[in-house]
Amino acid sequence: MTMSRSTLVLAVLVVVLLAGPMFIVVPMSFSTAPSLEFPPPGYWLGYYRRVFSDPNWTGPIINSFLIGLGTMVLSMLLGVPASFALARHQFRLRAVFRIIVLMPLIVPHIVMALGYYTYFGSLGLVQSMPGVILAHACLSIPVVVLTVTSALANFDRRVEQAAANLGARPLTTFRLITFPILRPAFLVAALFAFIHSFDETVIAIFISGRDSATLPRQMYNSFQMEADPAISAASSLLLAAVLAVIGARWAAALVKARSKPIGASP
Amino acid sequence: MALQLTDTTAPATAAPRRVPGGWTFFVRAPFILYAPAAMFLAAFFLVPLGLVVWTSVSEPELGLGNYAEFFASTYDLGVLARTFRTALIVTLASLVFAYPVAYVAARKGGMIGAFLLGVVALSFWTSFLVRTYAWMVILGARGPVVGLLVALGVEPAPQLLFTTFAATFAMAHMLVPFMVLALYAVMRRIDETHMRAAASLGARPWRAFATVYLPQSLPGVLNGATLVFITCLGFYVTPTLIGSPQDKMIAGRIGQEMEQLLEFGAASATSMILLAAALALFALYDRFFGIERMWR
Repeated sequence: MTMSRSTLVLAVLVVVLLAGPMFIVVPMSFSTAPSLEFPPPGYWLGYYRRVFSDPNWTGPIINSFLIGLGTMVLSMLLGVPASFALARHQFRLRAVFRIIVLMPLIVPHIVMALGYYTYFGSLGLVQSMPGVILAHACLSIPVVVLTVTSALANFDRRVEQAAANLGARPLTTFRLITFPILRPAFLVAALFAFIHSFDETVIAIFISGRDSATLPRQMYNSFQMEADPAISAASSLLLAAVLAVIGARWAAALVKARSKPIGASP
Repeated sequence: MALQLTDTTAPATAAPRRVPGGWTFFVRAPFILYAPAAMFLAAFFLVPLGLVVWTSVSEPELGLGNYAEFFASTYDLGVLARTFRTALIVTLASLVFAYPVAYVAARKGGMIGAFLLGVVALSFWTSFLVRTYAWMVILGARGPVVGLLVALGVEPAPQLLFTTFAATFAMAHMLVPFMVLALYAVMRRIDETHMRAAASLGARPWRAFATVYLPQSLPGVLNGATLVFITCLGFYVTPTLIGSPQDKMIAGRIGQEMEQLLEFGAASATSMILLAAALALFALYDRFFGIERMWR
């Protein structure tokens, strides 16, 4: 409605200043300078070559994908049934369970890093991939539960009742009715669980060892040593991945908006 | 993120009655649904957390010595005060920048709204590490800001990187997207006709905003502020990478106590103090608003 031009300009200016600085990693990734120097003295592709060939980088990238996938599977297996329990059932200790599920979102990661460092040390899980997956699953379960319970809240249970009335057994109802309706929510929940793990830095710094190092840990160590400028290439690739996903969603929304009126008029 | 934890048990009572047993039992019995997650979180979340509590009172000897030491140390109290001060500055700064963005996105909608939210999402989903690295380059001794200052004749150029200023600035910049999303979630539900009604009753735009819009957006402000403040309290990566190595924040202090000093008792006590602060804020929030609203 009525809105002063200056408010609009201010909002646009803020988001440009929000995203703009991140893009400095792109020229840096092509820079020949061995240290943080801007503007770059020259350009080459050497750091990208290193990210894709040096085991110090390829190892953590592979580890991050494996740990992310493991976390995704584990947190979905545990989080989806928990979501059904929370959204559809009353049970004793429900309030307690709800708090326990949400708590990993609240406890600062550095506190958990300390806990896992001691705990996994005694279990022989420190510096191992299963250790990181177990820790990350705890952080991803609440993300899955929040996503799935929110979908369940908008779920019209009458369609399930209709299926049951027509004689479908509960498992058939789930397979033919409940699951297809919730599939988008499950996909989003799984993606969030994966990203949550892929992005997690603090716990990975302290408990993933050299062989199970994740990409964020490798990046963090490179920052601290200020030794490996390939970090800029890795950063640019991560930025490009986010840009690609958001760009694709934008394009899809645009195409949808364009095609609608054309299809509507016969 | 549209996230909400809601109880939909009520409408289920009309479900057709079936003889218990077989699959019906598995679908109906909540225990089978929540027990795996409960046991997993107990084993891999509560136990390690409990271990931190235990270590804080048992290492190196049984008692509250670690806590006594923390509160007797001017250095540690300084860390605590700095952490709260920084979190407060970051929260206020991110609120000031986020509010107009969320406001325009919520009221304008359309292409402009989509553009604003798209750029916010780009920033939101990009790793903290990447964004910290960008600030490392920009504020670095051989970066563009120092270059510009030198070109303008500021001699000697000030040290920007590895200062509390750098960490505060970068954290505020990184948490603006959180704040925008929290504000937007509330603002998009504010009825646009209220503002028109205010205008038609003769209120000038600023007056209409202050008396009609602002109060209705306050829940979003509170959501965002709580979320940003607590995130900032426990922020480890950015302060350790580009903050001052001497003037640590509490998460960095915990890391130092465990990695460099190997004082696990002290690290655990410091952790408990951080955790207590975070939990107290969440409990306060939960009491008034219900905790699920936080991530809606």
